[in-house]
Amino acid sequence: MNALVLLAAILFLLMVVIGGKKGARSFIALFLNFAVIFLTVFFMLNPYTNPIILTLVACTVISCINLFYINEVNIKTKTAFVSTVITIVLLLFFIVIVTENTMIQGFGEEEIEELSIFSLYIGVDFVKIGAAVIIMSTIGAITDVAISITSPMREIFHHHPDIGRKALFLSGLSIGRDILSTSANTLFFAFFGGYLALLIWFKDLAYSIGQVVNSKVFSAEMITIFSAGIGVALIIPITSWITAYYLVKTREADKPAE
Amino acid sequence: MNVVVNRLNKLSKKHFFLFVILALSFISSMLFVHHNHSFYERLIAEVIETELVDAAETIDMHNNEDMLFTQQIVAEIKNGEKKGQLIHLTNEFSSSGAYDHEFHTGHELFVSMDAEIADTGELTGTITDVKRDTHILIVAWMFIFILLLVGKKQGLYAIISLIVVAVLLSYALDVYIHTSDLSLLWICSISVILFTVISLLLVGGFNEKTYAAIVATLLGTFSLLLITFLVMWLTSEKGLRYEEMQFLTRPPQMIFMAGVLIGALGAVMDVAITMSSSLFGLYDKNHSISVKALKTSGMEIGKDIMGTMTNILFFAYISGSIPMLVLYLMNASPVGFTLSMNLSLELARALAGGIGIVLTIPIGLYTTIFFVNRKRARL
Repeated sequence: MNALVLLAAILFLLMVVIGGKKGARSFIALFLNFAVIFLTVFFMLNPYTNPIILTLVACTVISCINLFYINEVNIKTKTAFVSTVITIVLLLFFIVIVTENTMIQGFGEEEIEELSIFSLYIGVDFVKIGAAVIIMSTIGAITDVAISITSPMREIFHHHPDIGRKALFLSGLSIGRDILSTSANTLFFAFFGGYLALLIWFKDLAYSIGQVVNSKVFSAEMITIFSAGIGVALIIPITSWITAYYLVKTREADKPAE
Repeated sequence: MNVVVNRLNKLSKKHFFLFVILALSFISSMLFVHHNHSFYERLIAEVIETELVDAAETIDMHNNEDMLFTQQIVAEIKNGEKKGQLIHLTNEFSSSGAYDHEFHTGHELFVSMDAEIADTGELTGTITDVKRDTHILIVAWMFIFILLLVGKKQGLYAIISLIVVAVLLSYALDVYIHTSDLSLLWICSISVILFTVISLLLVGGFNEKTYAAIVATLLGTFSLLLITFLVMWLTSEKGLRYEEMQFLTRPPQMIFMAGVLIGALGAVMDVAITMSSSLFGLYDKNHSISVKALKTSGMEIGKDIMGTMTNILFFAYISGSIPMLVLYLMNASPVGFTLSMNLSLELARALAGGIGIVLTIPIGLYTTIFFVNRKRARL
């Protein structure tokens, strides 16, 4: 039996037993997300498409799946969705500039040997693909933080219907701060786990600090970690502000009708 | 201006001290990376003039079109005996840029000088790599500032925990490399215990909530490890393509398993602390809350976080393979082959991590209830 199939079967079983219907939906969402990534890669193969715009579309679809399919369409997920998209756009600008300046796109000299059978002049823009990779590796965490802020904010608003916009925004910020370090940790460990082979490689081949810091692969990994941290931090004020604005606005819109 | 003064007055001495340290380290580190050329043994040159000398279209055997350019570069040597002299370099780059770069004035490059000096007396050389440390430092500082600005104290803890984890991991790998008789998995298991205790204490402080989360994390991570081992053994690792694992200097199975363990740890910790802090929050509001009510609320919370948490790991792992997938597919590799070659290990990592996350929900629930009951019995 294939190891991947068995792992997937165990995960599915656990999710259904523990999570019921919602667990099943979460599992299906993983496959939908995989399909989205796969389709994005296929569109990227066409040199005339812009990978940045493709990534934006892909991220929008992914956050729809993560927010609206796993949860439901309601105020909480709607504001989380809007905040996610805004953060992704902001982050994308930043990351494109950074990947251009640091020249971390494509493949490093450590990887190039095993790729010698391939033609590297394939006409797609690797700088933009590099930026797409960084943003896609953070999208899961960004939607997670967004929904974790909007749902308790909705609760607070429910319990204190007269709360002002600023007070609501500040409570959103403080909720966000509490989850910031655990969310950042989740990403850091995930990346460290993925980079373990690379770190051992550097140590086995006795790279000097200068060589490690300036090498393309290591720089790319560091930039990914930093951008992920920036993304997870940026979503907090954005989500808090949008949710506070939206909730207070709907209350004011409701008032004259009473 | 008044606003600024007022805000400065409001700051306590401790804050002011922190600001000064931050500003000083920012300035000194920026100065350092801009003037650290003499610390490098490799020759560094700064581009001062570029000239495009050739542009040609190319079509490879799979009908991919690309543009190839050649540029002549004049650069100034920044370190070593020839410091201050000019060196002439030739750079070829493509518009796709998979393994090449276009250089502009101001870029700093690592170069190796040719032994022979041309008849004209000009120094010539070849470009070996790009000096990236200045840019990395700028991004690192932006990361630190944004985290501190948004997260204040929590942001500081996130940064500290990142640094501690990185240093510990690096030390653990040093131990692994210098003592060949210790298995990587053992070293990583010990590191996992250390990471869990340090990170969770930093996040939660010394209290029952944190202890419950630590116990749940350790139980969750090691049951994940056990399940992954069982699956590997049952399926004799069929479907996992270790041959495409990159950067290998050691047996891949152990590196892969250690990666699974460490990669899932952050997510498992997140689930454990979410479970314990929300259940303890319910208990603090109502001390006579029944175990049954705690169980129901815990399962509800678990259902809510399960989907998004597994997605975090999924995207963090899968996205990194996108450039490889593009390269394979553009070189007319079959789709099934491309996917199994590049994604099998990443998918296995994500699935195993997902199993850890989901398992930690009941584990965290029962551990927290145990700690709540213990606290209740003491009252």
